Amino acid sequence: MHGVAGVILISSLAGCNRDEARVYHVPKEASPPPQPAPAATPEPTAPETTMPEAPASGMGTPSSVAMALPQLKYQVPEGWQEKPPSEMRVASFAVPGPNGQSADVSVIPLPVVGRDLELVNMWRSRVQLPATSDPNAVNQAKPVAVGAEQGWLFEFVSEQPLIGKSRQRLVVAMFTRGELSWFFKISGDDAIVTSQKEKFLQFLKSVSFAESAPAQMAAAPAVQNESAAPPPSIWTIPSGWQSVPPSQFLLAEFSVPGANGAKAEVNVAEMGGTGGGLLANVNRWRGQLGLGAIGENDLAKLAQSLDVPGGKGTLVDITGVDAKTGAPTRLVGAIVAQSDQTWFYKLMGEGQIVAQQKDAFTKFIQSANYANAR
Amino acid sequence: MPVDRLVKIMASLRLMVVLLAFAILLVFIGTIAQVDEGLYNAQARYFRQWFIFGINMFGHRIPLLLPGGYLIGTMLVLNLVAAHIYRFQLTVKKIGIQLAHAGVILLLVGQLATDMLAHESQMRFAEGETKSYSESGLHDELAFTSDSGAGEEVVAIPGRLLARGGDIQNGNLPFTVRVKRFWKNSEASFRAPMMKNEPPLTTNGVAANFNFHVAAETNNPDDKNVPTALIEIIGANGPLGDWVVSGWTSDDEMVDALRQSYAQQMGPQMAQKIADQLTRPQSIEAGGKKFTFGLRPERIYHPFSLELLKATHTVYEGTDIPKDFRSRVRLTNPQTGENREIEISMNHPLRYAGLTFYQYQMNAGDAAREAGRAAFSVLQVVHNPSWLTPYVGCAMVALGLVIQFMFHLVGFLSKRKTE
Repeated sequence: MHGVAGVILISSLAGCNRDEARVYHVPKEASPPPQPAPAATPEPTAPETTMPEAPASGMGTPSSVAMALPQLKYQVPEGWQEKPPSEMRVASFAVPGPNGQSADVSVIPLPVVGRDLELVNMWRSRVQLPATSDPNAVNQAKPVAVGAEQGWLFEFVSEQPLIGKSRQRLVVAMFTRGELSWFFKISGDDAIVTSQKEKFLQFLKSVSFAESAPAQMAAAPAVQNESAAPPPSIWTIPSGWQSVPPSQFLLAEFSVPGANGAKAEVNVAEMGGTGGGLLANVNRWRGQLGLGAIGENDLAKLAQSLDVPGGKGTLVDITGVDAKTGAPTRLVGAIVAQSDQTWFYKLMGEGQIVAQQKDAFTKFIQSANYANAR
Repeated sequence: MPVDRLVKIMASLRLMVVLLAFAILLVFIGTIAQVDEGLYNAQARYFRQWFIFGINMFGHRIPLLLPGGYLIGTMLVLNLVAAHIYRFQLTVKKIGIQLAHAGVILLLVGQLATDMLAHESQMRFAEGETKSYSESGLHDELAFTSDSGAGEEVVAIPGRLLARGGDIQNGNLPFTVRVKRFWKNSEASFRAPMMKNEPPLTTNGVAANFNFHVAAETNNPDDKNVPTALIEIIGANGPLGDWVVSGWTSDDEMVDALRQSYAQQMGPQMAQKIADQLTRPQSIEAGGKKFTFGLRPERIYHPFSLELLKATHTVYEGTDIPKDFRSRVRLTNPQTGENREIEISMNHPLRYAGLTFYQYQMNAGDAAREAGRAAFSVLQVVHNPSWLTPYVGCAMVALGLVIQFMFHLVGFLSKRKTE
């Protein structure tokens, strides 16, 4: 009988006090160590001082956060095409050059940072330069005029042509104003960035800030966008392709219906730098078709060259079995390097429809105008 | 007589066979259900239940009424006890059998006690950090902390109450907490300054700089649900504003994950700044007191503290395969005046004050250096008042069987001798 009593006792003990607030006292010594936060952490009831408030909307905004936002003004140099601001960028431009080449200009504000080696190394990695541990690297920046104030100009150029193309150059101006560090960046093929550098410096000089837009109005981008145009399309979409909302990490996605309910999919992704390289990505595609990885030698046999705006891309055509569905599947993939970005195109589906669509797919890739890209 | 019959049924071998068959079925169903429901949910739904109404198998719901783990275990105990009483023969010859059965009963009761009374938590600290509390891996709490002179007074509202929604009041808080939204799992992302962001959930505190979204609940034991709630604090003189409280802001593991992901995109320095924004404490003033608040893993405070002196993570030469995780800690107990160093490693837990500290996770050595962060260690803290029962139960069963065997052996030998 002791066992039964034990069970009942245990049941009653376990059932108590599960859903009530606990009140307890923690002595000073036992309080948790502070978070590794900056020395001064003002309480958020007061307006923040280390980072500007994000735009407020009309949902019951307490007055304490209705603070002014600086507005960026500038003159767009001739030939630069303004692009809609994106996630991190408050201003963005495409600079088209000869042979379909282009450079990319961006303006990004971030919470205050100093000139430091980590930033330099982050930029160096963008043009595939090795990281440096030389603390003097941060002092090699040259003073540059940003509006009426002084910023610092960094310049990096790749040691070798990247992905069989020209060298890549990156010019960054940074300056700190109030609570923000501003980064103005132009990057792309060495020739075009070099030729545009003077315009870039003029652009920096033209920058000015207008204070105080009421926060309630700031749900729209806080940039005085005098010549904003609707985002132009990057490609000519073949007839019959249906655009579908792209999933995460993809830039565009299309559904291509064929006869008898057959279907293929086209998707486009864009990544910074080489996106992991040609071989790794071809092997990733092979993996999707249940095929084993190949080496550089086999890749050379498999890869075909594809004429694309501004140079050559690489095309592969693989047939296997979809690792997810087990259905026989054909995949035509293309990798196109553009300034400091790499574009990945994939047509994948039933063999017959992929065969029918392959021409349209290559034309689609060739129709790209990367100057219109984000 | 009906009582006689009942005792007969309860003590019957047939009942035991039926119960064992149900137990086998339950283990099978529970194991399959883990695929869809996850380890913790499957345990809670099938084993920590008296009855099971409907089961999930291979994505289908099957309407079935089955006995749950508690019922089967309890019935097995009753069956054994009844058999004991019904067939009890107080002879020296049967003492081995009795002892073995008592051992089995102890095992069953001990397991039930473990299930109901034991709880696990984790203590996570970086080298040089001292902690006097451990944190639950499953439950969260909304903690309001105020200065009480000698220390802090904490009012901790369990996450379960937040999940129910509505108004929450407590005598120690001079305000009401109204839960406007609760997401069991959520995502957080930095609202880059002046970007074309969606409107924030609220412009107070952390929500001004971070977006929070609902995310699909995960059952994968390797992933974690990170809850977020939108609360309104209503003081005696009216509302004090809306605030977002989220596990993202106070769960060291999640903050670290977010910091790592931003470090890859924008460098470690910026990532640290973003993480600092995320973990900055939120507070309000009400009733003449300042309350700092946040949603955090449920804390269990101990009357002693541990300081992580050194975390050692060794791998087999030339590989990434872990060879040994080892935490050197200093235990300080102001009540007993203890102050000593202890080494905790994979098979050498620390047993102290009714708790067992197992080496659980670690990020130290090359792995931590490569990730650019301080070495840290996680200890699994297990409170199990009945941890001795399996040892004692097994010893009783073994001893009982030995005694029983010896009786037979002695009997057999003496019989042969007389022949």
